[in-house]
Amino acid sequence: MRGEMKASEGGDALAANPAAEAAQWVVAVAQRGDRVAFACLFDFYAPRLKSMLMRMGVSGEIAEDIAQDTLLAVWRKAALYDPERAAASAWIYAIARNLRIDRLRRDQRAKLFAIYETLETQDEPERPDGSLDTAQDEARVRTALSALPEEQVRVVQLSFFEGRAHGDIAKLLDLPLGTVKSRIRLAMNRLRDLLGEMT
Amino acid sequence: MTIIHHPSAATLAAFASGTLDEARAVVVASHLALCPQCQAERARFETVGGALLDAAPSAVMNEGAMERTLQRALATPDRAAPASTRPNAESRLPAPLEHYTLGNWRRIGGAVEFRAVDVPSDEAVRVFMLRAAPGTRLPRHRHTGTEWTCVFEGAFRHDLGRFGPGDFDEADESHEHNPVVEDGPSCICLVALEGSIKLQSLLGRLVQPFIRI
Repeated sequence: MRGEMKASEGGDALAANPAAEAAQWVVAVAQRGDRVAFACLFDFYAPRLKSMLMRMGVSGEIAEDIAQDTLLAVWRKAALYDPERAAASAWIYAIARNLRIDRLRRDQRAKLFAIYETLETQDEPERPDGSLDTAQDEARVRTALSALPEEQVRVVQLSFFEGRAHGDIAKLLDLPLGTVKSRIRLAMNRLRDLLGEMT
Repeated sequence: MTIIHHPSAATLAAFASGTLDEARAVVVASHLALCPQCQAERARFETVGGALLDAAPSAVMNEGAMERTLQRALATPDRAAPASTRPNAESRLPAPLEHYTLGNWRRIGGAVEFRAVDVPSDEAVRVFMLRAAPGTRLPRHRHTGTEWTCVFEGAFRHDLGRFGPGDFDEADESHEHNPVVEDGPSCICLVALEGSIKLQSLLGRLVQPFIRI
């Protein structure tokens, strides 16, 4: 993953940690319909959303649509974004996830996208006193990810965030199935420990 | 509500990234609606997703994509999202279940009742509710696939502990169960059962006529 990150940076300092700017951009869109801020969000996130979706097996054409629709939703829902509650990248990630589920559903009875919305509109639990704020959460997640060996980040990404089957991952990484399974287990336990230290 | 049993980190990560099938996701979502701790963990995995998104390579967008999207944003006034229908909005069930049509309770043998939940499933996973009277003892059974359960009321016990309201039982084929419903109120739970039903599973045999796998 980090190899790819370097490749995509191309000297763009934002790639290192656009989190702070991204939150400000969303707020600027919410408060004044700031088109420059919107362009910044689009330029950074739309191409990344598109590549992320394509890695999940979505066609380039539909990935393009979902990426555009995600940024459209960012514009429309900007006033609902609370920088205290979530990093902008996490908020945008969740919007794209919901739009992908809605767009790709094959059955009209499918309600999964609605379930995510139901959960998101539930009252968030109060943060216990002394817990970290969003910016610190964000920093801790990045630290946790960089503390994991690259091979473990890769299997976490393939398995959970791209939803690939274990056999598929074994083929992709040219590893025995057992190795893939144990690596995923190891990575998840480690990630949960690292993230668990946040509470 | 003191919740002891939670979904695994793997399951919460898959839920946060939207890669769980709907049938299993409904059971996880029902637990989340009852468990602030797992809601916080879900949010943390969304932060992980956001960090991975930030680090993703850039794909080339179509020419003029930004301008067209901005035009769409400016051209149409903000539309409220269409409210999705909630057949059970009045019920006492966790909010995620309100989106689905529920069948009637039907007795399926002994003191166990079954109620279908109309969740479409691409894979062979079926969702239903069970209501079992206190003291009900299910014979030892093995799962042929995963069997995920979220308890709403009452409690049952098996060799991995006591499962009361809000608890999540993430059983796979390696578990062998001998569940007993505790004394007190009837035990009501939501189940996502995977796989074609094998006759050696008592639960499968009981529900088979109702879910027609």
